Amino acid sequence: MSSFADPTLEGARSSRPSRARRAPVSRLGLILMAPAMLLLTLFFFLPVALTGVFAFTDLSTSTGIGRGDYVVTPNLLRELGDRGMSSADLEAVSRASVTVDAETIERARAAGVDGRFLDDIEGDFLGRSFDAPSDFERDLRRLRTAPRRARDLKSAAALFETSVLNQRFTTSDGLSAKLETLAPEVTPAARAQIVDASYTGARFTTENFERLATQKETARLVANTFLYVGATLSLFNVGLGLFLAVVLFYTPKGMSSLFSTLWLLPRITPVVLYAVMWKWFTWEGGFLPILAEQVGLPSFNYMKGSVVTAWATMITLNGFIGASFGLILFSGALRAIPVQQLWASEVDGASRWQQVRRIILPQMRWPILFVTAYQTLSLLSSYEQIWLTTNGGPGRTTTVWALEAFKTALSNYTGNLEYGMGAAMALVLVVVGLVLSLIYLRLFKFNELVGRPKIEI
Amino acid sequence: MRLHLDNFTKCFDGTPVIEGLNLTVEDGEMLALLGPSGCGKSTTLLSICGIYRADGGRILFGDRDVSALPSQRRNVGVVFQNYALYPHLTVEENIAFPLTVQKKRTDKAEVARQVREIAELIHIEALLSRRPAQLSGGQQQRVALARALVRKPDVLLLDEPLANLDAKLRLEMRSEIRRLQLETGITAILVTHDQVEAMSMCDRVAIMDKGEILQIDSPTEMYRAPANRFVAGFLGNPPITFLDGQTAQEGRFAMAEGLTLPLPAHLRNMPAGRPIALGLRPEHFGHGGAGQASGRVTFVEPQGREMLFDVQAAPGVTLRSIQPTRDDVAIGDEVTWSIDADRMLAFDADGRRL
Ligand SMILES: Nc1ncnc2c1ncn2[C@@H]1O[C@H](COP(=O)(O)OP(=O)(O)OP(=O)(O)O)[C@@H](O)[C@H]1O
Ligand SMILES: [Mg+2]
Repeated sequence: MSSFADPTLEGARSSRPSRARRAPVSRLGLILMAPAMLLLTLFFFLPVALTGVFAFTDLSTSTGIGRGDYVVTPNLLRELGDRGMSSADLEAVSRASVTVDAETIERARAAGVDGRFLDDIEGDFLGRSFDAPSDFERDLRRLRTAPRRARDLKSAAALFETSVLNQRFTTSDGLSAKLETLAPEVTPAARAQIVDASYTGARFTTENFERLATQKETARLVANTFLYVGATLSLFNVGLGLFLAVVLFYTPKGMSSLFSTLWLLPRITPVVLYAVMWKWFTWEGGFLPILAEQVGLPSFNYMKGSVVTAWATMITLNGFIGASFGLILFSGALRAIPVQQLWASEVDGASRWQQVRRIILPQMRWPILFVTAYQTLSLLSSYEQIWLTTNGGPGRTTTVWALEAFKTALSNYTGNLEYGMGAAMALVLVVVGLVLSLIYLRLFKFNELVGRPKIEI
Repeated sequence: MRLHLDNFTKCFDGTPVIEGLNLTVEDGEMLALLGPSGCGKSTTLLSICGIYRADGGRILFGDRDVSALPSQRRNVGVVFQNYALYPHLTVEENIAFPLTVQKKRTDKAEVARQVREIAELIHIEALLSRRPAQLSGGQQQRVALARALVRKPDVLLLDEPLANLDAKLRLEMRSEIRRLQLETGITAILVTHDQVEAMSMCDRVAIMDKGEILQIDSPTEMYRAPANRFVAGFLGNPPITFLDGQTAQEGRFAMAEGLTLPLPAHLRNMPAGRPIALGLRPEHFGHGGAGQASGRVTFVEPQGREMLFDVQAAPGVTLRSIQPTRDDVAIGDEVTWSIDADRMLAFDADGRRL
């Protein structure tokens, strides 16, 4: 770094007009950049933008992604009741009534009811409606053409019953009009509320974020995520990586390359295989529990059996994947220290430990910061290993934010995948990641690195 | 403290680079290890300070055999070619480093006092709070010297300390290092491949080639009486000219190319027909003497105070002369200049001086 640069020169350089040169460069630049921009748009901006949009909807399996209908279901009524709608109104809406009109007669004819019987019904009752199905049945029995068997009569009568329940309406007006005729005593406001709530399609809403901000579960997810990222990072990605790098720095060349390759295995093993290996390792009947049993220690399924061992397993298995990254980066940084510096420190009387602590480690500050920055981001968004191993358990004790987002949106037992909610959680991750990246870039003075060309032309 | 290498041997991957080397540096003496690149100077130095382990022989500091000691316990000060300052420490912390890593704790005030003392001796008091990246090459050099000296080492080792400096700074640091060495009275070894550096800074010069010491002598003696052809050729700028030929009748020397010269006085009685080589230094051509050579001037190199002339005395035989600047001789001129035959060096067929 040239901290001695003359400030006046510096100022002159930056104020030099550079526009004249920019035009011819930028066109070629654009052409060269186009494929990259296309890929970036397709695989990064678009997903992020979609996530951003979905995050503000209540999209889920039950809403589907197409247009919805208006349906009043018993479930919906129960929900409305929970939200405080009066039971009289609910009663009115769920009431079934009997109407004899062209439509219901047609329906009965289609269902195979005797034509003469229907003609009689039409003749006697057309345009009438009955409040209770039993009244209608009594009246029907008086007709000459009525079926002998009570059951046939009953089922024929049922065909004239109409209820708003479970009927699909494509427009809100349709449902509203129907409600008005069937339950005229329900106030327009309550009616509007029912119509609104009966929409089965996705809707724009900020409810996801309200839920995230208010539910108790969020605090636990955040705490879990902090613990997971912090512990994995400090113990393994940085701690173990640095430790190994320093140890290997002092071991003979052949040995050290063999050893670094070994540490790469967790990273290059397919993640499913890696997870299975850990299961063999920690499940009951696996290596560790059997070993523990021999030694007389408690032996159980370490991966899922207790909170502490589940956390230890999860952090360790993720840490082993990340440690190689730190190891490689730190090894490179160590090799960049001129060997004469190490010689000098030995001649100056420094022991191995003093050499590591006072000469080597202080010069590793940037690599450490870099690994921390980079791995925070990847740990924040990684869940595959957790999903494949502890799966957030026991209970939900090892569930981290990314895993919860994944489960909410794409994989859960109830079968109702809440895409909107999952997207909202993912969006939070993206925002946190971007903010962290900005902080890190400032920290690394990234602008300085890319801003000023090393060679002036 | 007297430094002695006794039958010292060093191998890399089984091949000996240095074999059975003997060398003594007297107490308070500064000795130059001079030799071409790859001859084993750095290897010797790094073995003395304990970075490399000797594969044979002994290394003695005074009466103490340090061969088996790690470098931490040898108490040597080393200045490396690229200075090897610790970039994350200030100048003050760099210089204090050897004091603060000692087993026996020195208290802070005492460390600061010693650092200041050495900084004053080396004239870098003003730089103490800077970091190495904020120093010029010469300043870094001084800091490296201060760090090497602060612990009052038994021996000071310098590996090409001036190689990275520009010509003017090199001149300045040359006398500066010598001044410090004389003031502190420390035993020192200077590794260099620059003969001027070696001759101007040191009490004695050891010339090395291919892992062997060919000659150890004071600079003047070595220049006047080199032990062999390699040493003669290595010392002197512009270099000596070798003439390969035979002794002839009447104490003369003759070359196949046709040039004949009188032999040096002490060789006049040699029987004729012996193959020998004469070494003619440029300052002995054109400055009086019994011999003579004539030829055409093929090259003139003005150097300010002096001028260098190449004279073709016979086909394929070019003699070189250095003379005070003159403007009466130009390229293409025929000249006849004297040769101081008695001060010419003579070597036998094996390269030993006669
Ligand atoms: N670590 C090493 N491993 C193997 N061979 C080495 C090693 N260090 C030096 N050598 C060899 O030993 C010989 C002497 O090397 P050394 O560095 O002592 O030369 P030097 O005289 O210091 O040369 P220079 O003036 O170029 O620094 C060389 O031939 C070199 O190739
Ligand atoms: Mg060297």
